[in-house]
Formats: sequence, C-alpha cells, structure tokens
Amino acid sequence: MKSLVINDLHVSVEGKEILKGIDLTVNEKEIHALMGPNGNGKSTLLAAIMGHPKYEVTQGSIFYDGQDVLAMSVDERSRAGLFLAMQYPQEIPGVTNSDFLRAAMNVRRESPVPLFTFIKAIEKTIKDLEMKEDLAHRFLNEGFSGGEKKRNEIVQMEMLKPTLSMLDEVDSGLDVDALRIVARAIMNMHEENGMSLIVVSHYERFYELIPPQFTHVLIDGRIVLSGDAELAARIDREGYDWIYREYDVQPAAEADSQRRAVSIGTCAANPQVRGRNI
Amino acid sequence: MNALRTSRDIRLSGGYSEYEIDTGRDIELTFSAEEDCDVFIRIISGQNIKLRTYTAAGVKATFLFWNETAEKLELDESHEVMRDADLHLAYCEANRADTKRNTWVALREEGARARVSSAALVMSDKHFDVDVVSYKPHTYGLMDNYSVVLEGGHYYMNAIGKIVKGAYGSESHQTSRSLSFDSQQRSEIIPTLLIDENDVQASHAMTVGRVDEDVLYYMMSRGLTIAQCTQLISTGYLLPIAATIDNEDLQKKLREELEEKIERLCSM
Repeated sequence: MKSLVINDLHVSVEGKEILKGIDLTVNEKEIHALMGPNGNGKSTLLAAIMGHPKYEVTQGSIFYDGQDVLAMSVDERSRAGLFLAMQYPQEIPGVTNSDFLRAAMNVRRESPVPLFTFIKAIEKTIKDLEMKEDLAHRFLNEGFSGGEKKRNEIVQMEMLKPTLSMLDEVDSGLDVDALRIVARAIMNMHEENGMSLIVVSHYERFYELIPPQFTHVLIDGRIVLSGDAELAARIDREGYDWIYREYDVQPAAEADSQRRAVSIGTCAANPQVRGRNI
Repeated sequence: MNALRTSRDIRLSGGYSEYEIDTGRDIELTFSAEEDCDVFIRIISGQNIKLRTYTAAGVKATFLFWNETAEKLELDESHEVMRDADLHLAYCEANRADTKRNTWVALREEGARARVSSAALVMSDKHFDVDVVSYKPHTYGLMDNYSVVLEGGHYYMNAIGKIVKGAYGSESHQTSRSLSFDSQQRSEIIPTLLIDENDVQASHAMTVGRVDEDVLYYMMSRGLTIAQCTQLISTGYLLPIAATIDNEDLQKKLREELEEKIERLCSM
C-alpha cells in the first residue's frame, strides 16, 4: 500500500519557520481535509511535499511508498506519483497544453504515448472537465480565467494519473457548476484508481462533494486537532475561535507571501551613440 | 536548391526560391527583387559573406536566412528598400559556431517598409549589429529579436532604429527578448532609437532574464526534467521564425530541424 508518512516536519521560508513539527500519514484511497486560517502553513505543507525550492525543510522526514521524498527532485516526486494542483498555476507562453502534457506523460513511460492514444485521452478529459475544445492548442494557462486555470490543473491530473493528489484551494475561483464538474472528475479518479487526496479548502461545500474521512486543523505551523468529516462541518458553521479557546493556540499573523515580482525589464537608450552618423 | 559557391549578382524571379551558400572562400552576393518573392537561403559554409539586397519599388520580398555553419561566420549586409516596397529579413541560428553579423537596412524612398526578425539558440559567441534607417518620409522599420542563451553562450544585440531629419511620418519600432536558464550565461541587448524628426512614432521594448523559478517549479512538478523544460520553453520562444515564409512544406521542414536541434542542444 502506498502511504505518505510525514514525521516531525519543520519548514522555513526565507529564514522564517512556518511549519513547526507536522506529523501526518495519508494511506491509499484516503481523503484528508486540511483546514486552518490563512497564513498558518497549509500551502507551505503542500509546497514542501512537492519540493518548491523556496521552502527549506530544516527537520523531519517525508516518505512516500517507502521512498525518501526529501531526497528527490521535484520532477522525481511527480514521477513517484505525487501531484499538486496549485493555487496559482503559472502562465507559460509559447508552450501549448498538448506539447506540455505529452512531454509529461512520456517521461512516465518506457516508449512515447502514440499520438492517436494521446488525442483520444485529451479529448475525453477536455469533455469531462467541460473545457473549450481548443484547449490542447492554447498556450499553457496563458490568458486563462481564474476558473479555467483551476480546471486545467484537474485536466493535467486526469492525464497524468497520480496516486496521491494535493489540492491547494482548487475550488477558489470556481462557480457552482464548475465546482461540481471538478469535484466529479476528482472523485472519479479517487474511486477508479484509488487516488488518495489532501484537500485544502475553506468551504464546506467542496467537502460535501469530496467527502474527507479525516480533517486536520493547522494553526501556527502545527496540526492542533484532527477529526472526521464532522470537524470540517463544524468549522464551517462556527469558525476557528472555539479551537483557539479550547486548545489554547493563537493563529500566526497572516503573511503577505504571494506577492512577488514577475518580469525583469529595463529601458535603455544609449547616450554615446546619439551623435553617431550612420 | 541553387548552390552558391562564388560571388554573383542574382536577379530573383517571382515566387519561391531556395539557395545554399556552401563555400570555403569569401563571397559577395547581390540579390535584386523586381517581383514579389520569398527566398530561403541556407548557409552551410562560408567565412566572410558580403551580401546586398535591392527591393524595387512596390515589391514585397521575404528572405529567410538559416545559418548552420560549423565554423565562425562573418556577414556584412546592406539592404536597400525603394518606394512603397516591403522587405522582411528573418534570421535563424541554432548552430554551435560563432557568428558576427552586421545588418544595415536603408528605407531609401517614401513608403518603404522593412521588418527584421531573428531567433537564436546561443551556445557560442553571437554578435549582431542591426541598423534600420529611415531616409524618407512615411517609412516604417520594425525589429524583433528573440534569443535563448544556453551554457557557454554570449549573445550581443545592438539594435539601432534611426529616423533622419526630414523623414516625417515615419515609424521605428523594436523588441528584443533574451532568455537564459542560469546565471552563467551572458546576454547584452542595446536598444537604441536615434530620432532627428518630430513627427514620428518610435518605440522599443526589451527583456533580459532568467526563466522564472516558479515557472520551472510548475513544469517540473508535472514530472519534466530541467532539460525538458528548457527544450519546451526554448522551442516556444524560437519556433515562430520558422513560419516567416508562407510555404507549408518549408515550414514543416524547418520546424522539424529546429525542434531536433533544440532537443539535442538542450539535453546536453
């Protein structure tokens, strides 16, 4: 059985400790809900499992299917069966969805996926997720709406068939119909392939569509409380205040972590050549 | 395919034609376009090439230069564009040899237009100077340069758009973008506009940068190795040059060649 086993995980970002000792085990076919106020480490935990270079593991271990995840590069983790549906999927101009997906599928196989098989698979997936038909030929996420980007994450998941998927607020930016479409596709993969899930969401509605067996509450870098699906429902009704009181914890101040510069551009006129005659 | 081994003056007939420069010697070539034409020029070998083109009044001419020399190539070019003529010069190189190219385009008569496009996968010394000069009113010059700089590469692009006094109503635009994958590579772009007239439009844009860390992380999180990411991004950056000439067979062939080259270089 493929299990993800996390022991005493400490993670820092730019020298600041965000995760302060996480223990979590996710077995095959299990669905875990990960809840907690913003800025308390949910996304950090998922990014650290996937291997984002900015997140530095200072202590602890992560094993998946008996393999040391922390010793693997990001692409090796993906090929081992881990998948992260990101909160902010990147836009990559010049690279089409179809070229990207074919390359990603081929690295998992001995021989390249035959073109016809690939086209059939992507057509089915596009239909499952009710995306526009030209998706395959568009550049990866470029000019996509927020909702389209999230659905495209699930397109990739369905094509790559991971054994453990992490969803980082994949439901934000989706309308009610899209939410149902996305949840149905995810549940199909869970039921057909036994894919296990770690689901980060703030909304009970999503957990009704993807019912977790376990709910964990992450506050200030620690899992302070674990329970079943009812815990997610109670948080939805009552918020987190009762947990702060009963478990004597304080949420971390929300960090402004998502802001970053994107492109490098400069403007230069060369004063030395101004007077030059051509 | 016409092989060019010695200096020649070539009067282009209309439509599509192909040439191959394959000589161990210095060579001087002149192409005259008196009718609309698309010209594909493959440079197999040649040390010092002097090249001139002349695009006659009202003619639309496109030249696509495909450089695949194994030794250092030096090109010295001048291009004359006459009244209401439209010249498109496109350059592609993904070879390992050094290149030094000096391109000078004269928009010589009213209404002349020129576009200079280039795409380079850089693993050696690639040094380019491009001048597009508006001499007469209502002329139009445009440059767009794309490069991907890999390990051991040094890219230098000095792009000058010039509008002389009296060339009112003219436009000069340029965009240069250079992409690299780590901090060891060198890339210099010097965009310059020399404007001696008031009633004109001019612009320049440039970016020199590494691939965003988050972009690489995103692609790798789907299982792609760094080499595969490099290959996909480079292909997306450079491939549009292969579509310069509207000829489906040629486009297909060039696309395959470029993809194969990028694959080989990026996986080294």
